[in-house]
Amino acid sequence: MLAFLVQRISQAFLVMFVISVIAFAIQDGLGDPLQEMVGMSVSAEEREAIREELGLNDPMVLQYLRFAGKAIQGDLGNSYFYSKPTLEVIAEHLPATLELVIGASLIIIFLSVPIGVYAAIRPQAWLSKFFMGVSTVGISIPVFLTAIVLIQLFSIGVTVTWFPVDTGWGQWLNEALSTEGGLPSYGRGDDLVHLFGTWESGFFSSDGWMHLVLPSVSLASIMLPLFIRLIRAEMMEVLQSDYIRYARAKGLSAGRINFLHALKNTMLPVITVGGVQIGIMVAYTILTETVFQWPGVGLMFLEAITRSDIPLIVAYLMVVGLIFVVTNTLVDLLYGLVNPTVKLTGKKA
Amino acid sequence: MALLEVKNLDVRFAVRGGDLTALRGISFNLDKGERLGLVGESGAGKSVAAFSILNLVAQPGYIAGGQILFKGKDLAAMSERELRKIRGNQIAMIFQDPMMTLNPVLTIGTQMVEAILAHRKISKKEARDIALDRLQKVQIPSPEKRLDQYPHELSGGMRQRVIIAIALLLEPELIVADEPTTALDVTIQAEIMDLLLNLCEQENVALMLITHDLGVVSQVTRRMLVMYSGRIIEQGPTRDIINNAQHPYTRGLISALPQMGSPGARLFQIPGSMPSLKNVPAGCPFHPRCEFATEQCRGAMPEYVHSGNVDVACFEVAHRIEQETRMQEAES
Amino acid sequence: MTTATVSRWDRFRESFFWYSFRRDKVAIISSLVLLLMVLAAIFAPLLAPANPYDLAQINIMNSELPPLGLDGADPSFPLGTDAQGRDLLSTILYGTRVSLMIGFGAVVLQSVLGILFGLLAGYLGGKVDAVLMRIADVQLSFSTLMVAIIVGAVFKASFGNLMFGEIAIYMLIFIIGVAEWPQIARTVRASVLAEKKKEYVDAAKVMGFGTRRIMFRHILPNTLSPIFVIGTVQIANAIISEAALSFLGLGMPETQPSLGSLIKSGFDYIQSGSWWITLIPGMVLVVLVLVINLLGDWLRDVMNPRLYKG
Repeated sequence: MLAFLVQRISQAFLVMFVISVIAFAIQDGLGDPLQEMVGMSVSAEEREAIREELGLNDPMVLQYLRFAGKAIQGDLGNSYFYSKPTLEVIAEHLPATLELVIGASLIIIFLSVPIGVYAAIRPQAWLSKFFMGVSTVGISIPVFLTAIVLIQLFSIGVTVTWFPVDTGWGQWLNEALSTEGGLPSYGRGDDLVHLFGTWESGFFSSDGWMHLVLPSVSLASIMLPLFIRLIRAEMMEVLQSDYIRYARAKGLSAGRINFLHALKNTMLPVITVGGVQIGIMVAYTILTETVFQWPGVGLMFLEAITRSDIPLIVAYLMVVGLIFVVTNTLVDLLYGLVNPTVKLTGKKA
Repeated sequence: MALLEVKNLDVRFAVRGGDLTALRGISFNLDKGERLGLVGESGAGKSVAAFSILNLVAQPGYIAGGQILFKGKDLAAMSERELRKIRGNQIAMIFQDPMMTLNPVLTIGTQMVEAILAHRKISKKEARDIALDRLQKVQIPSPEKRLDQYPHELSGGMRQRVIIAIALLLEPELIVADEPTTALDVTIQAEIMDLLLNLCEQENVALMLITHDLGVVSQVTRRMLVMYSGRIIEQGPTRDIINNAQHPYTRGLISALPQMGSPGARLFQIPGSMPSLKNVPAGCPFHPRCEFATEQCRGAMPEYVHSGNVDVACFEVAHRIEQETRMQEAES
Repeated sequence: MTTATVSRWDRFRESFFWYSFRRDKVAIISSLVLLLMVLAAIFAPLLAPANPYDLAQINIMNSELPPLGLDGADPSFPLGTDAQGRDLLSTILYGTRVSLMIGFGAVVLQSVLGILFGLLAGYLGGKVDAVLMRIADVQLSFSTLMVAIIVGAVFKASFGNLMFGEIAIYMLIFIIGVAEWPQIARTVRASVLAEKKKEYVDAAKVMGFGTRRIMFRHILPNTLSPIFVIGTVQIANAIISEAALSFLGLGMPETQPSLGSLIKSGFDYIQSGSWWITLIPGMVLVVLVLVINLLGDWLRDVMNPRLYKG
């Protein structure tokens, strides 16, 4: 257990080191703290003096060490735009993103498992083929386009008048194909409940949930097809294995074979991939939040780019990097815990 | 009535571009408490035969014809629901590779208890007691502890003991053992085989032993079947076949056994290899490797003939018997 | 020469590849649609009724005209116009051209990088392998889109808006190519490891061929079919990545639009009811990506290469 732990954690530190070097390089290459601090009206000599004082003329390694040291203490500089510590800005925006990711994850988990399992158990059924077809199309639709279509359908609404109104069926078809709209497509609404710290939650009001529907469906739409395909593929492979056949030879019921013997073995690799995918979802939050003006870290990051708010960009990179590394490491450790065949002692079985 | 009566069983694999025949016209009987050996090279269809007895041929395989009568009821025609009552309950199976047979993510105890509860309406506690009793029977060290262990914590030999214990859980009448010791370490093969044989004898369970090891079959079974390319080519009392094999293939197999030749002599080998399912030759499938092959062998599949107590499918044997009878008739 | 080509054509026609293609309706339709779109993109300057890059042709009075079939449509703009009064059909033709160019260019770049690093990692092994694959792991765990967004953001910040707009097409090829190389590198490496064990590589070594020759002349040809399959799917991914970057404002400028930037500029007008400006380019993008993905799926089934799993 210890060796496994040490190995994973040292790996995580290595990755964090690389990320911090990249972040430092960006800050050093793009940001000129002087300009922000003193403006244009300062003479060259004075600038040089301040540079010296700030340590900007020190060797790179020294400057990096200073940057990393501050970062460990939770100091990633001040945002140009917000004029306050970047981490504070991120902390204000993070809950919105987390709630979006939670919403999307719930949709993914509750839909992908039953659909994937069904498609694996009955690969020839027309419903399975339908699901697989839809997921192929789903993979081909970029997340922002799904979001736009959802807005058109459920926020703005669509009135169909293709069919003759004077016939009963025409009227019925027109109505069946038209959508109401009315779902909010902008921000999180006003009905937020303060939980603790900077966490303003939308989970405690119907308005908050309504605002969450379209964004989380959009965000889920990109991962859902991947998960359905993954679960189906893994499950079909497991169903071919000897131990499933042996379970049948023992006379067990199909339900027990499919949902205990096969599903448990299917979900182990899915957990690993799933953990990584949740990290990847962070990238898609940028797109989703942009479409819905969802006030999370993704939108904040994009705004920081347009405002050239370098410290905030760098801080975002470090925080998102940390989230990726922590989730990946946790998923690895979790996988080791739930999978009895992974020996945590590091010894060979 | 025989315990198990397989009649004219055909098994095919549905693949793109037509069916492949895996088993052709398999017929044999097995009595209560009897030990039957089934030998053949890998690819002869031994495993398919084993699985088809439980009507458990893997996709895309299917039973295309024939009957599998177990105590008079045809397993080939049963619904999945009825089959489930027999599988693991009256007929148990032991798979080849104990490393692959047990589910890696469930404890030994879970996998034993569920097998009992699938067939008996008793409490979990009682089921666990039965499981413990069977683990003691297969002489596993510290059986109590094993129930809560996962398969990977056990050695291959121990796992196969567990699988034998699972086979015995519900006092079955027949155990089908598909190469039960092949995947094990050579040093413990004999030990596990002895255990299996002793327990079957104690509990009066019929055993169908599938193996490529003619030596084992000759020592422990009363009757045996020899398979080649999906067909039984010779069957009868083990002693008769070992001492006086009729089919050229069986003769080849026996002379390939080390102890049969004189020490130091070169081992005999049957030239060539068994055809794959995709290109089974016309006529007798063994003819390309047979030193006695004639035009007749290339053209048609030989029928079974009686030679003493043995049934053989071979034209050469048929001709010899014909000649012998003619000579006897001439003498008398 | 002619006989050789004829026999090669015959061999192709008798091959399993062609056989399974003819039997697969999805593959036939997908490739026809793709061919049509590629041709339309290549000949966009000839086909398009207007040149969207030419400011002189644009009349702001024509802005937000709906496509044919809706009230107020103008027959000279069959798909309607965008907010600046540009003919949507023309901008889509030109936009498809830009999207395809970037998608194809990015895949060429990532293939070169991926093949090079994959061969090195697989053939040399040891430290080179460990370092390259570690980088690939980190990059993949960050997701290629995230890497592309970050690199795009840094480029945009360092070049400034105007400069970035001018060289955007090359920047996007570079960004997406660099972000996506690990996919191909991993596949190549896996194939190399499998090929390395085979006898012909030993034979080549015994015959005294150098490392480079063995890698490029002997191992590489045998790893091509998985690269081909992945490369196809990667074109679709690159097109989506480009669209995403452009949608975020990190890609093609509106004056030189790709499908992604068309969707972006149209999105601002969706609330005012002009859905066509964003949804028609959106549909074109989906169809383009979908047919490439379907072809990729078909290729994977036919070639059935050892793909890197994970």
